[in-house]
Amino acid sequence: MRKVETNDLQICATPEITVKKKKVLKRKDLIGWAIMLPTLILFSFFIWEPLLENIKLSLYQANGIRLVKFVGLDNYFTVFAHPDFWAALKNTFSYIGWSLVIGFFAPILAAILISETIHFKGLFRVGIYFPNIMPGLATVIMWGFLFKPGGTGTLNILLGKIGVDPQLWLTNPGWTIPLIVMSMTWKSAGATALIYLAGISSINPELYEAATIDGASVLQRIRYITLPKLFSLGKTMFILQIIAVFQILYEPMVMTNGGPNNASISIMQLVYNFAFKDYNFPVAAALSVIVCIILAVLSVLYFKLTSNKEG
Amino acid sequence: MFFNKYKEKSDGAIRYYDIKSLRTKILSIAIFILCLLILIVCLFPSVWVFLASFKDISEFRKDATILPSTFNFQKYVDTWNNLKFVRYYINSTIVVIGGTLCSVTFNGLLAYVLAIIKPKGHKIILGLVMWSLLIPATTSIVALFVNINKVGLNGSFLPLWLVFGANAFYVILFKNFFEGLPKELIEAAKLDGCGELQIFLRVILPLSRPIVMVVVIFTVTAAWSDFLLPYLVLNGTQKETIMVKLFAYHSSNKVNAVDMLRAVAFSIIPPIILFTIFQKQITDGATAGAVKE
Repeated sequence: MRKVETNDLQICATPEITVKKKKVLKRKDLIGWAIMLPTLILFSFFIWEPLLENIKLSLYQANGIRLVKFVGLDNYFTVFAHPDFWAALKNTFSYIGWSLVIGFFAPILAAILISETIHFKGLFRVGIYFPNIMPGLATVIMWGFLFKPGGTGTLNILLGKIGVDPQLWLTNPGWTIPLIVMSMTWKSAGATALIYLAGISSINPELYEAATIDGASVLQRIRYITLPKLFSLGKTMFILQIIAVFQILYEPMVMTNGGPNNASISIMQLVYNFAFKDYNFPVAAALSVIVCIILAVLSVLYFKLTSNKEG
Repeated sequence: MFFNKYKEKSDGAIRYYDIKSLRTKILSIAIFILCLLILIVCLFPSVWVFLASFKDISEFRKDATILPSTFNFQKYVDTWNNLKFVRYYINSTIVVIGGTLCSVTFNGLLAYVLAIIKPKGHKIILGLVMWSLLIPATTSIVALFVNINKVGLNGSFLPLWLVFGANAFYVILFKNFFEGLPKELIEAAKLDGCGELQIFLRVILPLSRPIVMVVVIFTVTAAWSDFLLPYLVLNGTQKETIMVKLFAYHSSNKVNAVDMLRAVAFSIIPPIILFTIFQKQITDGATAGAVKE
């Protein structure tokens, strides 16, 4: 074993055939780190450093991208004093609430339905995943068209066929967030449904057979065998979903531009506005840090849940 | 017959022996119909984009119909030429190819070190990577943009390629796969005098074709769909990708609705083709990544 390590590519240092284990380890470490280095530089540049840079940036006053002077927590106070921040925060809870109502149950339902059918199962699996491969921006623009108000809007045409009056869709402030969540669910539910489907197919079939012998009806079997299994998966999916909801950006930006009257502005959209409309990078960074802290807390929760499951 | 096929069903709550009762018969038909409805909901919007983009602008504005009056491909060709889509297709392709190469190389190498070489201190890096998995990159977009400007990489494809080389999710996918590879093969390669990089290129990568495929497909779709960073880096440079251009058209109001729809259609055709070819790898990859975390 040790011989192998020394042989390997190194110019045969003959006197050192009996290399001490320590030295062998060192060479392995060195090569390992050397191979990792390029990727680590990329991770630092694109992920880790920006995270820290964000915190630093948020504590300064800046002129464009040039830092001018240290201002402590002033930028945070600016964020808190900004009326849009409270609108966005309120919306975020609304987004979370609606994605619990629509986005959380839709994939569970779809997964149960697809697992309980036998015809075209493969087609359903592929079909439900299809919206996932659509580019996010294209999806959002597409749904913007589908939600066109007036008699020639696509959804209104379809509704008209069953005798429903044309709706205002996104221009109705009470509807914007639920509709945005609906279009997000359309895009992402398939991936989650596939995970639930994998969960269902990992249930021991004998459980169902035993339950049948005990006289459980089909619905009872779903209620007492399928659902409990999905529940533990669902907890982690739920947190992942909240994490995703905090990052909503394209949807309100493209579909409603945050309107009508800030009714759908999201936190990340506010970050974008601070940074790339007002060019006030420090305030944008301060808000990013706030989002980051919230997400970090949620992530710890997620880790706790998933590690409990394994243990 | 519809119900006979249930003989093959060996998992889930409904089984062939349930089918005898009328209630279950109705229930399984209802379930099947609901599945069809789900399928229609999933597919209809994209189909509609293609249907509606055959309309001309007055037809689109005035007629309350789903189907266009004619199917004239010339309209597509005109929009393609007017909006100079070739250039943006090429730009997007450049981003996709560069991004995919970076993605496989850099994430693969890191995963290789974490899974096989395991030098002293690799656990720290693994921890950091796991954390990056959960802190979404969009939250530090402001600082990243500032950084890219500081090193003078704005207006260049380079950051858009390299950003795919730092993807925690792909690293974990690779790492899980590499850990399952037979250790004997790696030992044998060492005996034959292969260096660490050679082992990666000659042993690990060829054995890992399935996972490489998954990461390639994921990266291709992600790179094609990526919008925010390309927009911030490339907007106004003639290097815009399709997504950047879509957003620009959408916010400028200079492009009319049907041209816009055709542009959307152009932007979703490549992913649809890719998905049709690799549907199995894609749907399998979707669950592999999530369940193994």
